[in-house]
Amino acid sequence: MRKILLGTTAVVGAALLAPAVAVAQEAPTVRIGGFFRAYYGNTQQSGRNSTQPSTLATNVSGATSNLQQQATGSAESAGNIARLSKNDFSTDAEVHVFVNGKTANGLSYGAVIEIAFNQQEGRNIVQQRASTGKTTASIDEYYAFIASPTFGQIRFGDEDGPVGGLMNSGVVTNFGTGGIYGDRESFVSRQANVRTTTAPGSLGDNTKIIYLSPQFFGFDFGASFAFNYNEGEDTGCSSNQSSGWCDSAYAFTGASNFGIAAAGPNMSVRRNEYQAALRWRGSLAGVGLAVTGGYVGAGAARELTVQGTQARLYNNLNVFQVGAQATAYGLTVGAQYEHGDSNFFWGNTLRGDRPMDQFFTGASYTVGPFTIGGNYVIQTVEGGSRSSFSAAAANGGSSTGLVANPGTPGTGNGTNAALMRRIGWGVGGNYRLAPGLDLVAEYSSYTVAERGRDLDPSNPGIQDRNVAKVFILGTRLAF
Amino acid sequence: MKHALLALGVVLPLLSACGGENQRLVQNDEYGDWRNGRARNRPQGATAGIVVFGVDKDREAREAAATGGGSGLSVNAYLWRATLDTLSFMPLASADPFGGTIITEWYSPPSANGERFRAQAYVLGRQLRSDGVRVQVFRQTLDRGQWVDSPVSPSTNADLEDKVLARARELRSQSASR
Repeated sequence: MRKILLGTTAVVGAALLAPAVAVAQEAPTVRIGGFFRAYYGNTQQSGRNSTQPSTLATNVSGATSNLQQQATGSAESAGNIARLSKNDFSTDAEVHVFVNGKTANGLSYGAVIEIAFNQQEGRNIVQQRASTGKTTASIDEYYAFIASPTFGQIRFGDEDGPVGGLMNSGVVTNFGTGGIYGDRESFVSRQANVRTTTAPGSLGDNTKIIYLSPQFFGFDFGASFAFNYNEGEDTGCSSNQSSGWCDSAYAFTGASNFGIAAAGPNMSVRRNEYQAALRWRGSLAGVGLAVTGGYVGAGAARELTVQGTQARLYNNLNVFQVGAQATAYGLTVGAQYEHGDSNFFWGNTLRGDRPMDQFFTGASYTVGPFTIGGNYVIQTVEGGSRSSFSAAAANGGSSTGLVANPGTPGTGNGTNAALMRRIGWGVGGNYRLAPGLDLVAEYSSYTVAERGRDLDPSNPGIQDRNVAKVFILGTRLAF
Repeated sequence: MKHALLALGVVLPLLSACGGENQRLVQNDEYGDWRNGRARNRPQGATAGIVVFGVDKDREAREAAATGGGSGLSVNAYLWRATLDTLSFMPLASADPFGGTIITEWYSPPSANGERFRAQAYVLGRQLRSDGVRVQVFRQTLDRGQWVDSPVSPSTNADLEDKVLARARELRSQSASR
């Protein structure tokens, strides 16, 4: 697969580079753009007040490593709880560098480098006087591109794929901060992952090569390939030894922990990811229409026991997507449906797990400087894993190494095989004060529910429902 | 599934080369840029952001549109008008705004009988640059009833170019302050 994909792009690349009609050469320009935004947020969320200890250190004096989880029996482990206020501010910015040029034979080329300042979600305190700020600069996306009117465009670098944000239709987010796919997660903490949505862009901007076709008869299509989930320059290996932390590890001990991508280390078992999308855009009787069908597939790294037995415990990532939207007189309505093997964060599911289904719909209306809109998403997905990895089972000859989980007794969820439902909606609006300068207001609600499973470990008892509601008021400047 | 995708991957790029008139390049701003990546409604791709290095083609186009007013000039409008203004003391033989050439008739200054001049000016491009205009002056003197080519003082061409540039600068600042 990958050889052929790479081969295809090589052919297209050769065609791109072939001399075409002479067009005036343009020296490259370098541009700076970006945005800044500042919001007030009011958050109502299950488990904002914890009653179960977080076991994090309570003081930095004498710290020798990052806020480590404390051993059972220590003072922190026994009684570290917190109550979170509803009110907070949140700021964010990105600075983008755009390079654009044109060769004598009419090829456009350039690069985009997006510098973000939200590298760290949580605090990083290594020692009492050694920490890095939450606003540490990092790269959001960066890639180079080369484009020809005849053969389309190739992008190479850290960038969203055709299915993961570039060519989707029906995902209406052009109001407020984006509704349920907006900036709400800046205010929501992580318990039960009630902030994590399966948005197209969450599929990731891992390093990939992307082909985007020209549009012909209203159709254009795109395809991409990535070796793994990682981005950036280096190998990712955290020590001199080969380990699962290396970007290119295809079988490693502990792979069973990374079906759901770990946010901090950008770690996931996704391997050999390919995306393909076909889009049609046109207008009928003055109504602008767009329809996209897409597919994303990927293999998974295998678990490797220390005895050297490989276990294929993951399903391939395998999701179909279809979306459509219509726009007329400032009104846009759209809907999108996705189905396939994936967990709630575009991760590989364990073998035997149920597939994901997701339906999204949204509408927005723009009149003069005002835009208002709303969107809604409902997803059903595998909940708590119904099985887990056992090295003994793998070594004993099981190809997956999976054994059934006992589940939680007395909850009616005897095998942890419950369906998780994730339902969210958002309404919002923005007022354009000046080109690029918006005032935004938005309210959103997201619920995660799974019968018989405790989604709020911070509090005693079994809470099988977790809700986060966020109101945002703020401003956003694009430049 | 894989095979179908493979077939698509191979065939579609080739098909795309056969679109003819119904084919066009999809611009960078027609692709989604997920969440924070893009500030909404800002120009994207080749026109995004503020130019810090290189020539701002969009600004040039805007200025040309503003000053040329859709007159079909294919050369810099300031330089073109400045050249016309500067050479207007001589009768014009031809002026081609597309090629950027202005050629005058022979002209004899009232103060200097027995001497006549002719000028050719070339406006060389869309950019307002000091090397964007070239002026060539020809001189003939009356020698026994015949006009004979004579050398021109070497600074004459440069002096006229300077006058054109000064006038262009004037026009530019006038239109900027409007």
